[in-house]
Amino acid sequence: MKITNGKDFWAGVMFIAFGLGFMIVARNYAMGNAVRMGPAYFPTALGGILVVLGAVVFLRAFVSKVAHPLRVFPFRLWYVLAGLALGVAAYYTQPTRDAIMVWQIGHVLLAGLAVGLMFAAFGERSLWVILFSVVVFGYALKPLGLVMATGLLVFISAWGGHEFRWKEVTIMAAVLAAFSVASFVYGLGLPMNVWPSIWE
Amino acid sequence: MEALFHNLGIGFAVALTFQNIFYCLMGCLLGTLIGVLPGIGPVATIAMLLPVTFTLNPTSALIMLAGIYYGAQYGGSTTAILVNIPGESSSVVTCLDGYQMARQGRAGPALGIAAIGSFFAGCVATVIIALFAPPLAEVALKFGPAEYFSLMVLGLIAATVLAHGSLIKAIAMVILGLLLGLVGTDVNSGVARFSFGVSELSDGIGFVSVAMGVFGFAEIIANLEQKEHREIFTKKVSNLLPSLQDFKDSWASILRGTALGSFLGILPGGGALLASFAAYTLEKKVSKNSANFGKGAIQGVAAPESANNAGAQTSFIPLLTLGIPSNPVMALMIGAMMIQGIAPGPQVMTERPQLFWGMIASMWIGNLMLVVLNLPLIGMWIKLLMVPYRILYPSILVFCCIGVYSISNSPFDVMQTAAFGVVGYIFVKLECEPAPLILGFILGPLMEENLRRAMLLSRGDPLVFFQRPISLTMLLIAAFLLVVVLAPTVRKKREEAFVEA
Repeated sequence: MKITNGKDFWAGVMFIAFGLGFMIVARNYAMGNAVRMGPAYFPTALGGILVVLGAVVFLRAFVSKVAHPLRVFPFRLWYVLAGLALGVAAYYTQPTRDAIMVWQIGHVLLAGLAVGLMFAAFGERSLWVILFSVVVFGYALKPLGLVMATGLLVFISAWGGHEFRWKEVTIMAAVLAAFSVASFVYGLGLPMNVWPSIWE
Repeated sequence: MEALFHNLGIGFAVALTFQNIFYCLMGCLLGTLIGVLPGIGPVATIAMLLPVTFTLNPTSALIMLAGIYYGAQYGGSTTAILVNIPGESSSVVTCLDGYQMARQGRAGPALGIAAIGSFFAGCVATVIIALFAPPLAEVALKFGPAEYFSLMVLGLIAATVLAHGSLIKAIAMVILGLLLGLVGTDVNSGVARFSFGVSELSDGIGFVSVAMGVFGFAEIIANLEQKEHREIFTKKVSNLLPSLQDFKDSWASILRGTALGSFLGILPGGGALLASFAAYTLEKKVSKNSANFGKGAIQGVAAPESANNAGAQTSFIPLLTLGIPSNPVMALMIGAMMIQGIAPGPQVMTERPQLFWGMIASMWIGNLMLVVLNLPLIGMWIKLLMVPYRILYPSILVFCCIGVYSISNSPFDVMQTAAFGVVGYIFVKLECEPAPLILGFILGPLMEENLRRAMLLSRGDPLVFFQRPISLTMLLIAAFLLVVVLAPTVRKKREEAFVEA
């Protein structure tokens, strides 16, 4: 027995894991019966089907004539574990509202590092840089305002591409920030602060 | 017939108000824009705009979103013909002959015939919707929960049959989508399912997050992994009007493409993408000199471009009459209707005739605008194509992020979308088509609800699905589709069809 199709192998594993996961979590809810279905009935049934389908895909990986390597994309388990550990640490050390500024900033950096490591586990730079830029935008928007958050998003995401030209990216960030403020905040009236919240 | 004219009268009265013309134009322009740009499709755009439409009235919002979808079909052909990469997945086949025509210096006629074919198809499809939607909605009003459940089974099966790649993976993706759709508070018991105590998840996973993460972000990442190379063959397009000979060569193809596209659009799982593939294959079959295909045959442009536009529009029929989405774009339209507080289904037509007929009339107006606007504006779209991707993608990201953030004004949705970006990337790498997942996701709660009701009414007897004739018919069709696709000969054909494309 040799795995010929790595993609099918992992797809099978993924489907089985999702199916089992949903079935196990559904055990916490009432099952009911066929006449009066409880909240667990439909998910359990679907989870079962997914496990079966996943198993077929999994087994097909051994007989498939299509050859794919088992290493579908670079993945570093260590990064995930480290990210998880930092994430748990960040969760339990959340600063209170009146904690000192340094600690608040430090905590944000810690949480950011945890998330970044989790994304970075998937080798490809474009993947983790892009998604990291998105997360940074999400968390920076309220404290830093739309202009700076857009700037951060543009700079970080541009760094994930093939080429990075300082001048071009700076102009792009400025134009996009101006455009977003004009159209979304003033045009459509979305409730977002333009500048850092402490300034206002 | 009289009722039809009366209804269309209502529709045009709504669609021709200044406000609605404006939103129709916005939708069409935006649709063309993203259609021209490779790397962003109608799904991501509509997902991006969903939160924005909240501030509009429902009719204008839906008119604009519909315009994006069929506008994208127009725009997609421009990129396909001039750059040989599909601006939209539904114009993949247009590349084959369209780009060859451009190389022979006939980019103008290629663009012209694509636009004219699309316009013709758009007009026909509008009439078809107006003719077929009312009787279908009448039938649908008689549907009970058992019929609805079977209809959804049929829709989902059809969607998997028509998906690329492995059938079994597509079905697994549907099931996974259904399961993800169940996350959140269960309507019957009030239990917050699979939310792991996260309060944001008790309302369910955000549909926009899933769609944007899996389609939008994952697409950007996949694009960035490949080195970009874009070669614009034609910098200046002159003489857009096809010659008389061109018309003679292609009028039959336009007719065939329109007919096929309209039909395939109505089917659950159908839409623009399938229509264009099928039309190209058909054209190649019926053509007397099929050797010309791939070498710049005008029929190879006319047929799929007519078909994808017809399919894009008729795919609104199942949405408007049954409340069932046939493709991811329609799933988003359901999302848009729900945001506006409209329950999609057959009652929309009777309860909100202005919305229903206004939208249909706006499609015709939108098609007219697209022809009138697009041909003169072609120079502008070409300029846009020269914008390199490294400038484009941060801009797309900015708009996506603002859109997602504004759903609930919290970082949670942004995080969730990023997480689905990872998931979407894994799907791409494992060759799991995400479109069936989205359909399953939107249908999950509906399906559970109808299953529960049907079983309650039948006192737990699952045979109810086979005893009611309409329900039985739909299940039989679903089973038939599965058997046909699994049959070895068809299976081979299907794989070939997708590989060829």
